Amino acid sequence: MSVMPLPNNHTSTDGPINPELVKALFPIFSNNPLTRNLSYLDNAATSQKPEVVMQAMDDAMRLFHSPVNRGFYPLAEQTTTRYEQARERLQRFIGAANHASVIFTASATDSINQIAQGFLLPRLKPEQNVWVTRMEHHANYLPWQDVCEKSGASLRIIELTDAGELDLERYPDIFADSTAMIALTQTSNVLGISNDVKDICRRAKQKNIPVLIDAAQAVVSNTINVRELGCDFLVFSAHKMFGPNGIGLLYIAPEQLNEVQPVRLGGGMVDFAADSIADTIWSEAPHCFEAGSPNFVGAIGFASACEFVDSLGQAKIKAHIGELATTLYQALSHYPNLHLVSSAEHLSSGIVSFYHDVIHAHDLAQIMGDAGVAVRAGHHCAQPLLRHLGVSSTLRISISVYNTNDDINAAVNALNYAQKVFS
Amino acid sequence: MSDSQLYKAQLLDHFKKPRNKAVGELTTMQVVKRGSNPSCGDEIEVGFSLKDNIIEPIQFRGRGCSVCIASASMMTEAITGQPAEHAKIMAAQMQQWIEGEDVNIPPMLKPLEAVRHHPARKKCVMLAWHALIEGMEQSNV
Repeated sequence: MSVMPLPNNHTSTDGPINPELVKALFPIFSNNPLTRNLSYLDNAATSQKPEVVMQAMDDAMRLFHSPVNRGFYPLAEQTTTRYEQARERLQRFIGAANHASVIFTASATDSINQIAQGFLLPRLKPEQNVWVTRMEHHANYLPWQDVCEKSGASLRIIELTDAGELDLERYPDIFADSTAMIALTQTSNVLGISNDVKDICRRAKQKNIPVLIDAAQAVVSNTINVRELGCDFLVFSAHKMFGPNGIGLLYIAPEQLNEVQPVRLGGGMVDFAADSIADTIWSEAPHCFEAGSPNFVGAIGFASACEFVDSLGQAKIKAHIGELATTLYQALSHYPNLHLVSSAEHLSSGIVSFYHDVIHAHDLAQIMGDAGVAVRAGHHCAQPLLRHLGVSSTLRISISVYNTNDDINAAVNALNYAQKVFS
Repeated sequence: MSDSQLYKAQLLDHFKKPRNKAVGELTTMQVVKRGSNPSCGDEIEVGFSLKDNIIEPIQFRGRGCSVCIASASMMTEAITGQPAEHAKIMAAQMQQWIEGEDVNIPPMLKPLEAVRHHPARKKCVMLAWHALIEGMEQSNV
C-alpha cells in the first residue's frame, strides 16, 4: 500500500510537538477557504483527519477493494489479509494478547451496546447492581439503564466530589458481591477529568466484577494497555483519534470471549446456520461479533490513525494539549462572569468547559463560530452530569495536537467580542 | 471579527428588554402552555387569554438563549390583539417561513431572518410558537 510518509521533523521523538508542522498534515486547514483559518477547538466531539489516514482509505477503495473473508481470488485474499493486518495494528495499539479480543464495531457506542445486551443482560439478576458514574456520556449510561430496567436490577451512580472526582469511598458496596458490572469512562468528555481506571479494575478483579472502560475521550493522549489495565472490556472510536467515522473498537478480554453472546446476527459470523438458533454454531471470535460485510475502508483508516498517533506519541500529545488548556484556563479564570466546570488539576485531556452568567452557551458558540472559532455548546450527551452541575448547557473548548497559541488567543478574543455584543 | 449577522440590533434589543415577559407565574392567563427543548435545556411558558376570540393579553416566561427569548418577545407583540384564527395562521406561516418557504410574515418578526440560515437555531425560534400553537389547540381554536 502506498502510504504517504510522515515528515520526519514533526515527530516527537526528540522535543515537544510542533503544532504548526502537525497542522500542515491536515488538509482541512489548507485546502478549504472555509476552514483555512479556522480555530478548530471541538476535538472532543471529533478530530480532523490527516492526509495519511485519507490516503490509506483512498488506496483501500481505489486499489484493494473487494470482499473481506468471502473471496477465493487474489484480490479478495489480499483484502482479507489487509483487514486482518489492521486488526493486528489495533491489537498492538492497545496491547492485547491476541487478535480474537480485538473486534471492529460501528462505534464506541455500538461496542458498549454489544456488551450490555450480549454479556450483561443474559446474566443480570434483579437483586444485583450495575455501577456507572455521574460523568458518563449517554453512550455509557443508557445501555446499562436499559438492561437494568429489563432485568429488574439497579443502576447505581457513583457521584462526584466537590472537586469533580469520583467519590468512590462514599459507596462501600461498589466492590461487593452484589455488583454485576462496573462501566466507567476513563476521561470525561465534559469535565476533562481522568479516572484511575487501573485501580478500579484492580479492586474489581478481587471480587471478579467485570469492568468496561470507555476510552473514547482518553485514547488520543493516553497509551492504552489492556493487559496492564486488567479490564474486561474497553471501547473507543476511530473518529476522535484522527481516524474515520463509522468504526469503533471493542476489546473483550480473552477469558470473557466465551461469555459474550453476539447481538448482531447475519453473514460472516456463523459457521453453521441450523434450523434453530439453539443448534446454530457461531464463528470464533472476533468474527462472531462482526456480522455483515466488514468495514474494510474504515478498518484501514483506523489502523492508519493508530500509526499516526504513535508517530506523535501520546505522552507528547498530552503535554501539548495540557499546556494549551492551562494557558486557556488561566485566561478564562479572570472573567468574573464565567464559571469553569473543568478543574485546574485535570487539564491534561485538553478539555475546558464553562458557562457564562448571562450569555447562553449556544449564543456564545454561535458568535465564536462566526469569528472562526469552532467550539461545542450544549449538554455534550451527558445530561445526568449537567443536571448534577445545575446547568442546561456548557461551552466546551477541546484542544488537539494541531492547535496553537493562536487558536487559544482566537477563542479568548471571540469570547471578549461575545461579551461586547451582549453587554 | 465577523459582525455576527445573527445578532442584529433588533434581536438583541428583544433579548435584553423582552416584551410581555412575566416574572412570576402566568396564573392570570386563561391558557398556559409550556414548551421545552431538551437538547439545549431551554424552557418557555406561553400564556394568553381570549376575549371575543381576540388574544389579549399574551405573556411568556422562562429561560433560553437570545434567539429563543427574542422570538418569544416578538411573538407576543405580533400576536397581541389578533383574532385567534389569524394567530393560528401566523404561527403556521412562521413555521413555514423558518423552514425557508416563501411566505409573508409581519415585519416585526423579520429580525429573525438570519436564523433561517442557521438550522441548529430554528428550534430556538419556534419554541414559543409551538407552545402558542399547543395552547390554541387546547382551547379549540
